[in-house]
Amino acid sequence: MSTNTSSPKSAGNRVGSVQCDNTTLHLLKANDYVANAIRERLKDVCVINVCSSPGSGKTTLMQETGKLLANDLNISVLVGDPETERDAIRMREVGINALQIVTGGMCHIEAQMILQALDHIDITGTDLLFIENVGNLLCPSAFDLGEDYRVTLLATTEGDDKPKKYPRMFLTSELMLVSKSDLLPYVPFSVDAVTKDAREVNPNIEVITISTLKNEGIDEWCDWLKEKVKQKKESRLQAEVK
Amino acid sequence: MHELSIVKDIFDTLEGHYGARVEDVQQIQVTAGLLSNVQPVLIQNAFDAFIAENRGYVEMELEVVVNDIVAYCDVCQQNFPVHYHRFVCPCGRSSSTIVQGNELYISKVIFKQEK
Repeated sequence: MSTNTSSPKSAGNRVGSVQCDNTTLHLLKANDYVANAIRERLKDVCVINVCSSPGSGKTTLMQETGKLLANDLNISVLVGDPETERDAIRMREVGINALQIVTGGMCHIEAQMILQALDHIDITGTDLLFIENVGNLLCPSAFDLGEDYRVTLLATTEGDDKPKKYPRMFLTSELMLVSKSDLLPYVPFSVDAVTKDAREVNPNIEVITISTLKNEGIDEWCDWLKEKVKQKKESRLQAEVK
Repeated sequence: MHELSIVKDIFDTLEGHYGARVEDVQQIQVTAGLLSNVQPVLIQNAFDAFIAENRGYVEMELEVVVNDIVAYCDVCQQNFPVHYHRFVCPCGRSSSTIVQGNELYISKVIFKQEK
């Protein structure tokens, strides 16, 4: 088979004919394989991958959610951070079962890290497992962590133009939480505009506006979580019946 | 941002598929959809850095082909190109059924062949 490659680097090396193999070798498939192994292992647990930029309020939201749902759901959290253990400590301070995944400077969590972390945290009886991803709207979008749902926070301070700038994150999320709504009177941010942009990228994305500081939208968020946990348990029961 | 891990994955995939023949690879072509967040320049730099450290591959070249985003409209029953990440068909309906744009794969491998 012939080829038309003619860059300066290869031109000197080519001797005689060149064999060309047209192929489809998917990259990152190892991650998808591990993600499915996690799904298989966590059949009884509703797993939610929480993504956002740094500083949009993921950890605070996890803390508040843990406190509010303490009587309804058994919650565990795996927290990703490039360097520190701080977030897991913050979770444990409010009584949430948490394990830190220090990624060592890496910009995202990969499925393999979750699989390994599961050997170091006791999630017996856990209904809801949050994976708090590394703060980054780009790279985490490409890595399936075996989650049931992906939730992306977007703080009002970040600007309402983000869904179009980071489309894959919003395309792969089931829910967008517009956080820090208490700051809406002070920042040029339109919830309508961000919702419209997000739905142009992903027409099925749900949107809830929240403020953990003023307790706005938190009930709606908690109801969403309870519904998803219920659905997971029901689908599990149906699968057993079959 | 994780270009180096993608480059490592390229070599793991090649070694897994071709075994020892990987040493005879002269050029590979990677096809990346616009949604895969792969920047051709950055992955080229990461690739050059990797082969500089791994002398066995020092002659290998990389070509990156970028695919545009194409989605499918259920109503019109046809594909439409997605411009500026607006997943809206010319007929006005939204659709996030992606036909092309998410992919990231090695699409071509060219082997050195001695006389």
